Amino acid sequence: MDTLLLARLQFAASASVHFLFVAVTLGLVTLLVGLQTAWVVTGNPRYERLTRFWGQLYVINYVLGIATGIVMEFQFGLNWSGLSRYVGNVFGAPLAIETLVAFFLESTFLGMWIFGWHRLRRGVHLALLYGVALTAYASAFWIMVANSWLQHPVGYEVRDGVAHLTDFSALLTNPALWMALGHVVSAAMLTGGLLMAAVSAWHLSRRTPDHALFRTSLRIGVVTAALAITFVQGFGFAQFGPVGAVQPTKFSTNSPDADALVADWTARFGPGDYLPPVLANVGLGFMILIGFGLGLLWLLLPLLWRDWIIRLRFPLWLLMLALPLPFVALILGWIAREVGRQPWVAYGLLPVDQAVSPISPWLMATSLAGFTLLLGSLAVTNWVLMARHAARGAADPALGRPPTQPPADDTRPEPAFT
Amino acid sequence: MELAWYALLGLFFAGYLVLGGYDYGVGLLLARSADADRRRAALNAVGPFFLGNEVWLVAAVGILFGAFPVLEGELLAGCYPAVVGALTGVILVTVGVQLRSRPDSRWARAGWDRVIVVGSLLAALGWGIVLAALLQGVPLRADGHVAGVTHLFTPFAAAAGLAVVTLVAAHGAAFLTLRMPAAEGDRLRPLARRLVVAALAAITAATVVGLFSDRVRAAAQRPVVGVLLAVLLVAALLAAWTALGRGRAGVAFAATATALALPVVLVGATLWPYVLVSTVEPGASLTVADAAASAPTLRLLGWLALPLLPALLGFQAMCWWIFRGRTDGRAPVYW
Repeated sequence: MDTLLLARLQFAASASVHFLFVAVTLGLVTLLVGLQTAWVVTGNPRYERLTRFWGQLYVINYVLGIATGIVMEFQFGLNWSGLSRYVGNVFGAPLAIETLVAFFLESTFLGMWIFGWHRLRRGVHLALLYGVALTAYASAFWIMVANSWLQHPVGYEVRDGVAHLTDFSALLTNPALWMALGHVVSAAMLTGGLLMAAVSAWHLSRRTPDHALFRTSLRIGVVTAALAITFVQGFGFAQFGPVGAVQPTKFSTNSPDADALVADWTARFGPGDYLPPVLANVGLGFMILIGFGLGLLWLLLPLLWRDWIIRLRFPLWLLMLALPLPFVALILGWIAREVGRQPWVAYGLLPVDQAVSPISPWLMATSLAGFTLLLGSLAVTNWVLMARHAARGAADPALGRPPTQPPADDTRPEPAFT
Repeated sequence: MELAWYALLGLFFAGYLVLGGYDYGVGLLLARSADADRRRAALNAVGPFFLGNEVWLVAAVGILFGAFPVLEGELLAGCYPAVVGALTGVILVTVGVQLRSRPDSRWARAGWDRVIVVGSLLAALGWGIVLAALLQGVPLRADGHVAGVTHLFTPFAAAAGLAVVTLVAAHGAAFLTLRMPAAEGDRLRPLARRLVVAALAAITAATVVGLFSDRVRAAAQRPVVGVLLAVLLVAALLAAWTALGRGRAGVAFAATATALALPVVLVGATLWPYVLVSTVEPGASLTVADAAASAPTLRLLGWLALPLLPALLGFQAMCWWIFRGRTDGRAPVYW
C-alpha cells in the first residue's frame, strides 16, 4: 500500500462529502434570509412558517457541513504535514482568517438563532441570520482564496526551500480565484433553489396540506435555480481562459504551453509524470452536460403563470428527478479542479509526494477506512433525517416551536422544567 | 510577536477545553441517566452555547495553521492516533447532540445519546494524551519529522488522558448544577462533589507518574513552574469541592473551569521556550520562534485578525448574556 495514494483518497472522500453539504448550506441560508426578512417586514405568518420549515432543513444539513469541515481542517496537519512545513507561511494565512472571522462567528450566530426564537426581539433575531449568511459567504471566500493559491501560487518567494509571504494582495487578485468563486456560489444557489423547488414539488404532487405554503416556496425555488444556472454557466465558461492560462496542463495536456511547462518542471524537479490523469476531464464533460441540461429550467418559468407548473403535474416530477443533478455536477466540477492540478499540491511549487506526512501506510489506511465509513454513514443518516423532515411538512417543525407548546413528537410533556 | 500568537493559541485551546469541556462533561453524564427527559434537559442546558463552544477548537487549529504551520504539521501527524481519536470524538459529539432529537422514537434518541457518551469520552481522552505527548517530548528527528507513533503509549499519557476525562466530567456536573433548574441542580450536587474528588485523585496520580517519568523530567525546561501549576490545579479542584458543599454553584463552575484551562498553561510554561522537545535528538527540538510563521505572515494575521478579536469574544459574551441564568419552562428546547 502507498501512503500517498491513501492520503489522496481520504482527501477526495472527505472533501466530496463536505461539498455536498456546504453547497446546500450556502444556498439555503441565502433563501432563508429572504424568507425571514419578508416575515419581519410584512408580518405575514406564512413567511414565519416558511422560515421555520426551511430553517429546520437548513439546520439539519448544517450538522454534516460543520462535522466534515472540522475533519478537513485537521486533515491538512494529519496527512499533509509537508504542506504546512513548506507553504504554511502563505497557505495557512487565509485558512486561519477563515476560521477566525467566518467559521467561529457563523457557529456562534447560528446557536443564538436556533435558541433565540420567541426570546429575542424580531430585529435582533433577523440580524443574527444575516450574520450567519454573511459569515458563510466570508467562509466560502477565504476557502476559495486558499484553494486558488494551491491552483496558482502567487505573492511568495522561496527562501531555504520554504515559501514566505511577500504580497498578500496577489492572493486576492489571483486569476484562479474570482470566476471560480462566482461559479461555486452560483452552484450553491442552484443547489439550494432546486432543493427547495423539488421538496415543494413533492408536497404539491402528493396534495399534502399547506398548498399555499409550498406553492410559494416552489416559485421561489424555481426562479432561484433558473437564475443561478445561468450564472453557473457564465462563470464556468469564463474560467477556461484565466485558469487555462495559469494551469496549462489542466484542460489540454498536449498544447505547446503544457509541453514547455513539463520540460521546465522536468529540469527543476527531475523526470516524472507531470500530467493529470485523464479522469479529470471526463468528469468535466459530464458536468458541462448537466449544466446545459439544467439550463432547461428556464422553460419552466412561463409555466409559473396561472400555476400551470402545478396543474400540469409533470413539471413537478421533472423537478424531483433533477434534484440529484447539481450534487453530481458539484463533485465532478471539484474533481476537474483538484485532480486537474495533479501531481502538485501547490501547482508547480510543491509535489504531492513531498507534502504527504511520513505516516505508515497501515495507519493511513485505518484512518481512511474509519473516516470514510464514519462520514459516509453520518451523511446517509443526515439525508434520511432531512428527507423525513421534508416529507413531514410544515405543520410543526421543532425549530422555532413556542416553548410553552408541548412538542408534538413526545408522548408526554417534559417534566424537568418545573 | 511569536509570544503574542503563542498566547493567543493557548487562549483559544484553553477556551476550547473549558467550553467544549462542559459539553463533553454533560455528554459523559448522559451515561448515568436512564430517564430520557433528564437527558434531554441536560443537553438543552448546554443548548444555545453548544455551537459556539466547539468552534473554539476550530479557531485554535486555525491559529495553529496560520501562525505555527511547522508545529501544526508535526504535532498533528506526530500524535496521529491521539488526534484521530479526539477528532472522531468531536465529530460524534457534534453530530450526536444536533441530531439526537430529530428522530421521534425514544429508541433512536437513546442510541444517539450513547454516541454522544462515546464521543465525549474519545474527545477528552484524545486531548489529554496530546497534552501529555507535548509534556513528555516526542521523537523528533533531525529531518524535522516525528518518528512513529509508539511514543504515545506511556503510563504518563494514559494517566493524563484519564485525568482530563475525570476533569471534564466534574466540570460538566458543575455546569449542570449552575444551569439546571434549582431543584435539579441541588440533586446533582453530591454527584458533582464525588466527580471532583475523582478528578483530584486522577490529577494527583498523573502528577506523580509524570514526576517519576524520565521523559517528562528530561523534557521539562522549568520543572518548578510545572509543579507549581499542578499544585494550583489541585487547589482549584479543592475550591470547587468546597464551593459545591456550600451551594455556591457559580464559584464551583469557575473553579472547575480554571482547572481545565490550567493544563494548557502548564504545558506551555513548563516547556518554554520550546514547544516540541525531541527525545532522540536534542538539536532537533523546536522552539516557539522556530515553529512560528515568518514575520510578514504574522504581521498580516495581526492586521486582519486581531482587530476582530474583540468582536469574536463580544459575540460569544452576547450569547452567554442572552441565555444566562437557569433553564426554565420558557427556554426553547431544540437538541
